[in-house]
Amino acid sequence: MTGTARLLGFLLRRERLSLPWWLAGVTLLLFVQSTQSQELYGTAAELETLRQTIGANTAVIAMSGPPELLRSIGGEIVFEIFGFLAIVVALMNMFLVGRHTRADEESGRAELIRSARVGRRAPLAAALLLAGLADVAAGLLVFAVAVGTGLPIAGSALFGAAVTGVGLFFGAATAAAAQVFESTRAVYGTVAALLGAAFALRAAGDVGDGTLSWASPIGWGQRAYPFAGDRWWALLLPVAAAVLLGAVAVALLARRDLGAGLVATRLGRAQASAVLRGPYALAWRLQRGSLAGWAAGLFLAGVAYGSIAESIQDYVRDNPEIAQFLTGGADDIINAYLAVTAGMAALLAAAYGVSSVLRARTEETSGRAEVVLATATSRWTWLAGQLSVAVLGTVLTLVAFGIGEGFAYGMSVSDPGQVPRLVGVALAYVPAVWLVVGVTVLAFGWLPRPATIVAWAVIAYCAVITLFADSFGLPGWSRQASPFVHTPQVPLDAATAPPFALLTLIAAALVAAGYAGLRRRDVGY
Amino acid sequence: MGTSPQAAIEITAVHKSFGVTKALDGLDLTVAEGEVHGFLGPNGSGKTTAIRVLLGLLRPDAGQVRLLGGDPWRDADTLHRRLAYVPGDVTLWPGITGGEVIDLLGRLRGGADRRRRDDLLERFDLDPRKKARTYSKGNRQKVALIAALASDAELLLLDEPTSGLDPLMEAVFQQCVHEIKDQGRTVLLSSHILAEVEALCDRVSIIRLGRTVETGTLGELRHLTRTSIAVETSRPVTGLTGMAGVHDVVIADHHARFDVDTARLDTVIRELAPLGVRSLTSSPPTLEELFLRHYGEDGAAS
Repeated sequence: MTGTARLLGFLLRRERLSLPWWLAGVTLLLFVQSTQSQELYGTAAELETLRQTIGANTAVIAMSGPPELLRSIGGEIVFEIFGFLAIVVALMNMFLVGRHTRADEESGRAELIRSARVGRRAPLAAALLLAGLADVAAGLLVFAVAVGTGLPIAGSALFGAAVTGVGLFFGAATAAAAQVFESTRAVYGTVAALLGAAFALRAAGDVGDGTLSWASPIGWGQRAYPFAGDRWWALLLPVAAAVLLGAVAVALLARRDLGAGLVATRLGRAQASAVLRGPYALAWRLQRGSLAGWAAGLFLAGVAYGSIAESIQDYVRDNPEIAQFLTGGADDIINAYLAVTAGMAALLAAAYGVSSVLRARTEETSGRAEVVLATATSRWTWLAGQLSVAVLGTVLTLVAFGIGEGFAYGMSVSDPGQVPRLVGVALAYVPAVWLVVGVTVLAFGWLPRPATIVAWAVIAYCAVITLFADSFGLPGWSRQASPFVHTPQVPLDAATAPPFALLTLIAAALVAAGYAGLRRRDVGY
Repeated sequence: MGTSPQAAIEITAVHKSFGVTKALDGLDLTVAEGEVHGFLGPNGSGKTTAIRVLLGLLRPDAGQVRLLGGDPWRDADTLHRRLAYVPGDVTLWPGITGGEVIDLLGRLRGGADRRRRDDLLERFDLDPRKKARTYSKGNRQKVALIAALASDAELLLLDEPTSGLDPLMEAVFQQCVHEIKDQGRTVLLSSHILAEVEALCDRVSIIRLGRTVETGTLGELRHLTRTSIAVETSRPVTGLTGMAGVHDVVIADHHARFDVDTARLDTVIRELAPLGVRSLTSSPPTLEELFLRHYGEDGAAS
């Protein structure tokens, strides 16, 4: 353990720029939720109405938490936000621990550190301490925001501790996974799968009799019932599990060589297959994994949205006052809902498109583009290879969403025809998504260095317009700047060709302009 | 240096800046067809920038660049069919194996010799089945080298190709370059390893702060160097101090040690001969020393 304290100081320094953002995210999420909830459901009567409507809606329960939390306004806040806080804190821990254990070993930095007067267990201990400190900080911030927005002190303390508990569990789980796998990607994949399972288990448990929720680290935190019974003992579970996983990590560390894992990476092909022969094949090969991930994610999102489509109708039938907020009123409620969800999917598909185009920039800054461009591959062919994935991949992700939503909704109304119909609805957004892809290409061509920030800012802008334009009362011109606003709201509105053609044309022009920039600039800077 | 029809590379007065940093400051470089040309300079002297200009990845701010008779910026993709490149810092796609990268680069370049590829894999002792993320720096370098050496390219641009290779592999590399030279192909070899350049290169250009400070054959450059002499004579040594071209004289009675400009060697030996030379050792000028004089504290060239 020699050198742990010094290493911890070094890790804190390495994290000084990214860690504050995670903590700021936690703070902001809770602050917005707490003020909003207290405004909406501030009185006992409002809370009672909510309890009755939500208590019967399995979809909302599956997305949020156990309805037992709805006993007080504080509990309502925990009900709505705890799942999201848990995801943020879990990912923070995954990156904090993964980056300073397996990623350092993979890059060779760990070798340099271990060659100094540093004990074998010191890097692991320092990474776990770092994650623990971050978890305590997150818990304290949750406590401070909860108390600061007027919630009871005792419940706030338990709320903060529950968030810390989720963090500790995932930090220790990452440490254990980092001992097992040789590559950082495999570690992150495992922990992300664990997080997905934790969410799914608690969703199934909360909808059912609650048993499965006890198998989920997120469920443990929620079932401490902050502000709704304050069961501190529930937090013994995440603490015990974290200690156990930490001990497993330490035990495994003693049984392996530096850089090795318990599961060795497999050997690959000695020769390239006949398929891998050009810039297109290379781009697809490099991005197929992330495309499959995004497509699967959008498919699942589609299933989630589709499965509650019918209950939305019931919900509105029971609460007619809500119908007046929806365009089309109660009659067209399902179509309005399907249009809105397709818009959400379009945002996700656009985010995928941006990340895919930005892979070109990663290739460039890493020097790998240079190797390809030094062959007979022209800049256009190289870019076209990358773009082929973005252009077709966005279509694929939208199709996956349409299939998922159509399948789930079709099941509930016994109509297989919903699959092609909702695929068509999702595809209506293709031109708008391509336009965002085009903007990213433009930024990549002319402003390569800030391209990443510019492109994600565009996504953030479109998201704000789609999600909040009405509730924030934004001026009309600001809405017009989002390509999604110009897409007909099918199936609510009729699809007409001109907006699609225009959006596609603009997208093509943006790509051409972006290429013009790439052609005349230096590569690699 | 006049324009010769056989020049594979011709760079004239090229300037390239990145913001305030001047990477190339009037660089001249001529590489004749069929020669192995050493491109020497310390880190940050502009070697890599020059090679990137030759590849058409960077556009020069001013000056002329000709590569295999074409304009590397305008005709990049057609010219690249005829050349192979090994970057100084090889980064590969982490999830793709070394064998796949070699094949892919060969195909992107327009085909590579399968037999030569397998032969090179064996000579460089590389396991092609490993994913690139598991390769060490030396092994990544081997992947890029094998991909380049397996091609039929007329021109090879090698940017410090042996950094990270062990001495055994360096010997294999030198052998390969000799074979390429025998086939009449052209090589531009950037390096700061002088032994390598001395062993391989017909001509050498030395670059410093983005400008060529010296160019010529190794023989020509030796005229700019000093030979170290240690001599023992039967009569006490006199008259050496103050002779033109003689430096750093240390005389102890019948013994003397000094450096002499290689061009003045003859005059100095004539001066020593009447003193009755009992023994004489001379250390030949090395590029190393030439290098040190160019970048050492007394700096100024020649």
